Amino acid sequence: MNKPKVVLVACGTAIATSTVVAKGIEEAMRERGLSVTTRQCKATEIRSRLSGVDLVVSTTPVPHDLGVPVIQTLAFLTGIGKEDVLNQIEQLLKES
Amino acid sequence: MDVFLQSLKSFVDALGPTIMLPIIIFFVALILGAKPGKAFRAGVTIGVAFIGINLVIGLMWTSLSDVAQAIVTNTGIHRDVVDVGWPSAAAIAFGSSVGLWVIPIAILVNLLMLGARLTKTLNVDIWNFWHFAFIGSLVVAATGNLVYGLIAAAIAAALALFLADWTAKAVQHFYGLPGISIPHLTSAPIVPIAIAVDWVIEKIPGLRDIDLDTESIRKKWGVFGEPVVLGLIIGLILGVIGYYNAEQPLVKILSTGMNLAAVMLLLPRMVQILMEGLIPVSEAAREFMQKRASDREIDIGLDSAILIGHPAAIASALVLVPIAILLSVILPGNRVILFADLAVIPFVVAMTAPLMRGNVLRMIIAGTVTLIIGFYIATAMAPLFTSAAVSSGFAIPEGAVQVTSIADGFMWPPALFVGLVKVLGGILGLAVILLLLAVAMYFYKKHTTAWEVAAGAPKPEPEAAA
Repeated sequence: MNKPKVVLVACGTAIATSTVVAKGIEEAMRERGLSVTTRQCKATEIRSRLSGVDLVVSTTPVPHDLGVPVIQTLAFLTGIGKEDVLNQIEQLLKES
Repeated sequence: MDVFLQSLKSFVDALGPTIMLPIIIFFVALILGAKPGKAFRAGVTIGVAFIGINLVIGLMWTSLSDVAQAIVTNTGIHRDVVDVGWPSAAAIAFGSSVGLWVIPIAILVNLLMLGARLTKTLNVDIWNFWHFAFIGSLVVAATGNLVYGLIAAAIAAALALFLADWTAKAVQHFYGLPGISIPHLTSAPIVPIAIAVDWVIEKIPGLRDIDLDTESIRKKWGVFGEPVVLGLIIGLILGVIGYYNAEQPLVKILSTGMNLAAVMLLLPRMVQILMEGLIPVSEAAREFMQKRASDREIDIGLDSAILIGHPAAIASALVLVPIAILLSVILPGNRVILFADLAVIPFVVAMTAPLMRGNVLRMIIAGTVTLIIGFYIATAMAPLFTSAAVSSGFAIPEGAVQVTSIADGFMWPPALFVGLVKVLGGILGLAVILLLLAVAMYFYKKHTTAWEVAAGAPKPEPEAAA
């Protein structure tokens, strides 16, 4: 039950924007008492990195037929609507 | 006073980016309103990242320059400018004397231009301020004058905002990103080139009707999107050319391959740490700017990394990787060997997609033209790039080759700055660039719709239809 949920965070480089998102998710979910680990990858490698992943969060277009929930969002970068997205992530992780 | 300043400067120089940058970042974060604990952690993390980047860059530069020299001796082909990649360029830029000041300078330029209604972009992409510092540090290397470098960085920040405004409608429409613009000096410079290329293609019957299938390209060329494999293969090929007649050739060839594969994986990881350290600063800066920007409609300026997932960007970049390698071999007069920045090609082409309507063949042609121009820009700017690296404290191997990177060593904005400053001198050169930017902004303001349509925005509907 206490196994941490795995969030795969994708962007164009796996360096820049995905780091912002990954740290944002880790911090916010810790505050909400959810144990989460994040992995980062490029949008191009997403299919080969899916095993064990509960949720995909991306800042760039990715396919939606991955078999796990996908959230595409810029909220972590712009700050606009970040709470809503965090709520949505929390919801999805609790259900998964 | 002079003595004091002089000794202060030599003290700061001796500390280098691993110590100076954490201190500066700590204070910048505090001023922007971050909590002291977070600001402190941010500073230390950035210092650590610099040490990590330095380690990997040391590995890469030694392997690359050894093999590059061996290739020159073996074949007589002069490819002695090695591509050390944008992570190196970013580290050089942030580690330079301009890099210490670039965050406050670019924020100030942005707020002033928003206030004067000269831009509608709020650039919260603090990370990519390195492009402005990069241009500034090249100008410092060319003139030896820090003030010119700082002014150049400020003008570069303004140029990025202008390019972002100009392309905003196109990007928003094509990529489906309302309220976003892209002030990114690796991605935006291709737009004028792409407009010209597209115009020529439209004139050629046959060619203008061809498009390629993105999905089949991604399947066939996917290996070029795997950095580790790419690093290994390029390392092996370079190793064979350089060492086939050396003592113990097999050992040398295989270790070159593995070293370069390691670099391809490790360098981005190190930059990830740098990015992590910058998060508290960039979030504080975003809130600081959003509070001070007026509440009229503004676009938020973000990293072009958010565009790269688009199938057209991925597909055209995959095909451009082998084209780029081929170009580096066949272009006469070119001295650049491509390596680390083969991974950055999606950034170079992404912003052609709106005006070429996602036509992959056209994007490949525009990318090829941009790269060809880029090879000559990079060859010409390599001495300055190398001396900027040295003055940021990066150890270039003894008797070595010169360095460059696609981002932004291949781009015309740095070349424009450096060229004009060199020919006309610091003050006049920068004045001319400022004037050019002002003229471009004037015509954009006057013919906004036409400019935006040229960049790929949808044609405005006639009143009656709307």
